[in-house]
Amino acid sequence: MPGKTVKVDRNITLTFWEKLYIPEIIRGLYITTKHFLPNFVSVVRAYILNKPEERKIMTIYYPEEKPNIPEAYRGRPVLVRGEDGKEKCVACGLCEVACPPHCISIVGAIRKDGTRYPETYVLDGSRCIFCGLCEEACPEEAIVMSHNYENLTELDRGLMIYDKDALLVPEAKLKERLEFIRKRAYSKCNY
Amino acid sequence: MFDYTYLPAPNLIPQLIEMMIKIIFIFTLNIGFFAPILGYVERKQSALMQDRIGANRADIFGYTLGGLFHIMSDAIKLIVKEDFIPRGADKVLHTFAPFAAVVPTLLAFAVIPFGGKYNLWGHETNLVIADLDVGILFVFAAGSLATYGSVIAGWSSNNNWSLLGAVRVASQMLSYEVAMGLTLVGVFMVYHTLSLTEIAAGQEEFFHWGIFLQPVGFFLFIACALAENKRVPFDTPEAESELVAGYFTEYSGLKFAMFWMAEFLEIVTIAAILVGVFFGAWHIPFLSDDSLLNFLAGIFGLNFGSLFTMLVHTGVFWLKVAMFIGFLMLIRWSLPRFRYDQVMKLGWKIILPLSLANIVVTGIILLMVN
Repeated sequence: MPGKTVKVDRNITLTFWEKLYIPEIIRGLYITTKHFLPNFVSVVRAYILNKPEERKIMTIYYPEEKPNIPEAYRGRPVLVRGEDGKEKCVACGLCEVACPPHCISIVGAIRKDGTRYPETYVLDGSRCIFCGLCEEACPEEAIVMSHNYENLTELDRGLMIYDKDALLVPEAKLKERLEFIRKRAYSKCNY
Repeated sequence: MFDYTYLPAPNLIPQLIEMMIKIIFIFTLNIGFFAPILGYVERKQSALMQDRIGANRADIFGYTLGGLFHIMSDAIKLIVKEDFIPRGADKVLHTFAPFAAVVPTLLAFAVIPFGGKYNLWGHETNLVIADLDVGILFVFAAGSLATYGSVIAGWSSNNNWSLLGAVRVASQMLSYEVAMGLTLVGVFMVYHTLSLTEIAAGQEEFFHWGIFLQPVGFFLFIACALAENKRVPFDTPEAESELVAGYFTEYSGLKFAMFWMAEFLEIVTIAAILVGVFFGAWHIPFLSDDSLLNFLAGIFGLNFGSLFTMLVHTGVFWLKVAMFIGFLMLIRWSLPRFRYDQVMKLGWKIILPLSLANIVVTGIILLMVN
């Protein structure tokens, strides 16, 4: 269908100063200089003073410098070892049920004093999707998502199956995350 | 028996030594310092301008020095790489082209003065390798020769991208060489000379610098010089998005490094000419050569005084050159590329008439002043 020609105003008529090129070029150079000079000063200053946090560039020199992890970050799930040295887990199996990829498998047992504990607690790291549902399901604050994001992969999947010894972390190291869990509105419903 | 009659006369030997020192100085400064360090500077400066960090990983025993060792790793990589000549390429010309690109850029330094005349222990020293009367024309001639390197490279590679790049180089260089020569005519008229040494010496007073006497000429010359350099606002011959890498698409290893080096040395040449012609060469603003010499001679004695004056002047010159290199890099990383027809239009329809007008206006003003 032969349509009518539509004249589009592309707004490319240049003003006299824009046609001269030079003022616009100077404006462009000003913009890049405005980025370059403060960055240069701050990078050199941070290098000399050895204070990476004073660098104005957002990039982090990763292996040497570590980023600040927000408290809501979900890293590798770990089991909490209470102050008495025993795991807090009571082997109720709620996390096992909640886990979408079924990466947790628990065999429960009863201690001589009548309390329950997991005889084996196996978490398959190669299947875990770091969703944090196990943490939400847990009534005992026994499994939490730690802030550990390093060395989570192996060349062999067999090495990524963590047993109880690999998963247990002392409570003192997880204080920040435990407080965060208690603050969360929906987690209060669990108690 | 050896015929001694052909040995140089004894009084020529100091001159010979002086000449060798100057050549070695220029050579080491360019090949040994500027060529490698500019690669690093360019990476770092562009990174900082774009709020990035830039090269910083190469290290020796855990020390990175802000990424300075990348120069060494780059060099090792380029040396170790395979030197590839494509099938169907002209082997002789393909090998010859990088040399044809590098040598003229070094050649131009022969006539660029990096200091004035000094009397050291009764020996008159002129800090320029060859003090030619037609110095600036020699620079233009060398610049024209550099075109051959690129054109031969594109022609001999047996690659259409390379050939297109070479064609673009040829037309761009031709167009801008005309304009480049004419932009500097105003300077020759003002200083009454073609010799770079005399132009530089004529800028002792701060307000006699070329930028004040020939402001239009400066802007036109810098545009032409950027076009001659084939870097970004005018990089149509090697446009990545259109021609892969233009005329050096088929080069690798050390031959590629030579094109790379030629590009960086051309920046240094342009910066040196800009400083020598428009920014007072080795002169310090508001401080005449004689007063500096008298001041230093009063402290260290005449000979050491003039030696230190020489060092100060050389330092000032290369400092200015370094600042201009930074400025040229700033332009390279700030401005987008011109379209090919825009390059031609700018050269023939804008810069050429403006430079002709500049000559006329300069002539009228000179007549009125005299």
